Amino acid sequence: MTIKITVVNATAGSSIIMELEPYDMMSDIINVAADHWGEGAGAFILRKGAKLLVASRTVGELNLSDGDVVEMIPDPEGGRQWVW
Amino acid sequence: MILRTSGNDRFDRMRRIPWMDVDGISGKRCLVVGAGALGNEVLKCLILAGFCDITVVDSDYIENSNLCRCVFFREGDDGLEKSRVLARRANEVCPEAKIKAVHSMIQDFDDWEYDLVIGCLDNISARLHTNSHAVYYGIPYVDGAIDGMRGKIQTVLPGGPCLQCAMNGSHARIADLRYSCTGNSHIFVPPTAAEITTTSIIAAMQVREAEKIASGRSDLCVRNITFYDGVRGTTDTITLDTDKECPNHMGN
Repeated sequence: MTIKITVVNATAGSSIIMELEPYDMMSDIINVAADHWGEGAGAFILRKGAKLLVASRTVGELNLSDGDVVEMIPDPEGGRQWVW
Repeated sequence: MILRTSGNDRFDRMRRIPWMDVDGISGKRCLVVGAGALGNEVLKCLILAGFCDITVVDSDYIENSNLCRCVFFREGDDGLEKSRVLARRANEVCPEAKIKAVHSMIQDFDDWEYDLVIGCLDNISARLHTNSHAVYYGIPYVDGAIDGMRGKIQTVLPGGPCLQCAMNGSHARIADLRYSCTGNSHIFVPPTAAEITTTSIIAAMQVREAEKIASGRSDLCVRNITFYDGVRGTTDTITLDTDKECPNHMGN
């Protein structure tokens, strides 16, 4: 069953609504959200409340439900940024 | 008459914390990976807390831009090996400590007989390497990271979730894109922002976790990841499950 969740960008404060299937993985949510916000250069994690949502888990496994709010937060790395 | 309540015991105030095992702390072998800003602050706290068997590994060299965040580096150290200068200056503060410097990338380091690993790194590849070795050898690992006024620490205890359990494709992408401070990349992007207060706080939190572990009180360790926001002055702790897909836990 398709559900709709809100993904909040912790850096910008903006949010998007995503329609997800039970088999969608948390890594899919991160990828789509990062692309949407142009945050491709950084590392991010996804949390719901005080729980980190492990990337390999699915919507169904984590019992995400319609109306849930998850937050995408930057994961500090430190040091200098180098790109190819 | 003067009544002395603390005598000459350097660690008297620490001993007053009921769970703190000062003798246990002094007997632990500690590996500090990274001798930059975090490494400086971590080493400062470690030696003052009574850790006295410490190895510092870093392959980088001192630049003057390090001086605003590195308590053990001085004008004139420019170009010297970070690990050796850090070990030497820390030893000046605590001559009884055995502080060994290893000028090397952690990927080339092959001694994992430690009781505790503290990560003060600046890139994901080195973190993953340190993390996987700590998990493999069953050594508690306390990782710290800084980005401007934000930072985080994660304590990895044997049998529990590790750094890689919290990572995803976004980490893999930047691990592919970046090298460490002295890496050989094709295009240079300006350094990330950094300042001493956030560094100090994250380092202090790392050493506090190290004190718990070295005191035999891993049960007190923060589980699992603490994020610090220096602008808002907030901390936020997020729990984490072991990732069944994480290569460090497969077969367990």
